[in-house]
Amino acid sequence: MRAILLIARKDFKLIVTSPLFCFVAALCTVVWSLMYLSFLRQFAAQGLMANMQGGGAAAQSLMNSVFVQHISVVNLVLIFTLPAITMRLIAEEKKMRSYDLLLTSPISSTDIAVGKFLAGLGAATALLLISFIYPAGTSLIAKFHWPTLIILYFGIFLITALYAAAGLFASSLTDSAMLAVFMAVVFNLMIWFVGQSGAGSDVKWWATLSEYISVGNHLSNFLKGTLRVSSIVFFTSAVGFFVFLCQRVIESARWR
Amino acid sequence: MIEISNLTKNYGDRKAIDSLNFTVKKGEVVGFLGPNGAGKTTTMKIITGFMAPTSGQVKVAGFDVFENPYEVKRRIGYLPETPPLYGDMVVTDFLEFVAKLKGVEDSRVNQLVARAVEKTQLGDVRHRLIQNLSKGYRQRVGLAQAIVSDPEILILDEPTVGLDPRQVAEIRTLLQELRGSHTIILSTHILPEVQATCERVIIINRGRIVAEDTLSGLSNRLRGGSYVQLRVRRNSSELAQALKAVGGVTSVEINGNNLKVHGTGTEELIEAVSELAVAKRAGLVELSHPEAGLEDIFIELTTQH
Ligand SMILES: Nc1ncnc2c1ncn2[C@@H]1O[C@H](COP(=O)(O)OP(=O)(O)OP(=O)(O)O)[C@@H](O)[C@H]1O
Ligand SMILES: [Mg+2]
Repeated sequence: MRAILLIARKDFKLIVTSPLFCFVAALCTVVWSLMYLSFLRQFAAQGLMANMQGGGAAAQSLMNSVFVQHISVVNLVLIFTLPAITMRLIAEEKKMRSYDLLLTSPISSTDIAVGKFLAGLGAATALLLISFIYPAGTSLIAKFHWPTLIILYFGIFLITALYAAAGLFASSLTDSAMLAVFMAVVFNLMIWFVGQSGAGSDVKWWATLSEYISVGNHLSNFLKGTLRVSSIVFFTSAVGFFVFLCQRVIESARWR
Repeated sequence: MIEISNLTKNYGDRKAIDSLNFTVKKGEVVGFLGPNGAGKTTTMKIITGFMAPTSGQVKVAGFDVFENPYEVKRRIGYLPETPPLYGDMVVTDFLEFVAKLKGVEDSRVNQLVARAVEKTQLGDVRHRLIQNLSKGYRQRVGLAQAIVSDPEILILDEPTVGLDPRQVAEIRTLLQELRGSHTIILSTHILPEVQATCERVIIINRGRIVAEDTLSGLSNRLRGGSYVQLRVRRNSSELAQALKAVGGVTSVEINGNNLKVHGTGTEELIEAVSELAVAKRAGLVELSHPEAGLEDIFIELTTQH
């Protein structure tokens, strides 16, 4: 446990103080600000009409038209930017040979994998918090149902955790940061497509399974403000799966 | 302290080391010598638990490296060929991280970091980013991370590479200080370094041990003995003739006023040679006994077959 936290803290600090992280955070802020403003403007235009129908409906559509679109943009941006943040977790250690230090220290490969995952998750959460400023700030000028927003954010947090775990695994496969980014983006896209592929399939079990592993499906539940146990179970096990794969890769390096 | 039996490592179908056997006793300083590609680094990586051997066994302090990796790793400080450093960390933060990683209790960390900084003379750069340090300083940080947890065993892969002569001398002093209380294996190409610091030498070539002995033992093995070198001002050929008659002298090489006397029995040889040089009034200006001539041993042992 001590080793996990030690590694997590070290890597988190190295990531968030790196110029790359600042660049990514700035990029995200620019994209999200522009998009969020345009969603708000669209909403305001529709709002003129909605005014005639009373306040409740307006609050509902703030959630639907602005927050839901915002979350989709956040998700899309994270698919492509998180890999740039998780890439260095292991690939860089391998390249700089500091990996030798980890492997000859009295800690297990599980400590390394979990510690590094937590560092990646921490950095990803920092980005999510930035994106949270927008809807939170909107509460100054409009009323909405906070619990729904919280569920929405819990959902995107789970998805982000999955991207971080996939990025960590990609990073463990290579000592080239570029390759790690590329693989992580591919993994993230696969995470989306693998669930979509079974939709409407004739094979019954495949259709059911793919519905369960479809991230899009889980996300749309979150967007409706519903939180299912099956979602939590799914994301936790998917994250665990990637962290486990990463641990296997670290372990296998000793046997080559 | 360290027992190695039948250690073999294949990379694919290339044999990097081939059934190595040796032991290192507690408190010994052992030099690990061999030409490029001999398998020094490979052996060290296996001892430290970085990777598994193809076959064979390594025991450190009675623990098998692969059955009890934590017990072994806790006891070893390792400086790999490339020092394992985080460029964007400050020197002291890095050493603190390593100490904790090695399982040092929080209460001792600061004290041990200060000690490592002092011993490797990093005081001036302790608050600088590692990536901005020069190569020699980075090597010192690498050495500092090996000793920071105060391990019983130090495994140093070419510890003085890239250091300036003064620092090399300081590292030697450091190793002298550590000997006795620590068991040390160091690999190197620099022969005088072995002569200055090691009690015992293991020479390996192409993955096999070709010699394993104390320094003086090794020198005696070579050409059945050692040699004495002397420089005189005159009468060199006359002296050479006289020397050949001395008991124990096997041959005399003469090169102007420089003479090289091969023979057995180091101290007797020196005594006899110096006495004769004085008796012949040759004007002895220099008499040296190049301990071991390790370079010769090294070249001879690693170029045969
Ligand atoms: N990862 C690897 N994959 C394949 N072969 C390797 C690997 N590492 C080392 N070797 C081979 O194993 C042999 C021993 O290498 P090793 O690095 O142990 O030598 P060394 O004695 O440390 O040499 P040097 O003095 O150059 O550091 C060499 O023939 C080398 O080519
Ligand atoms: Mg080497």
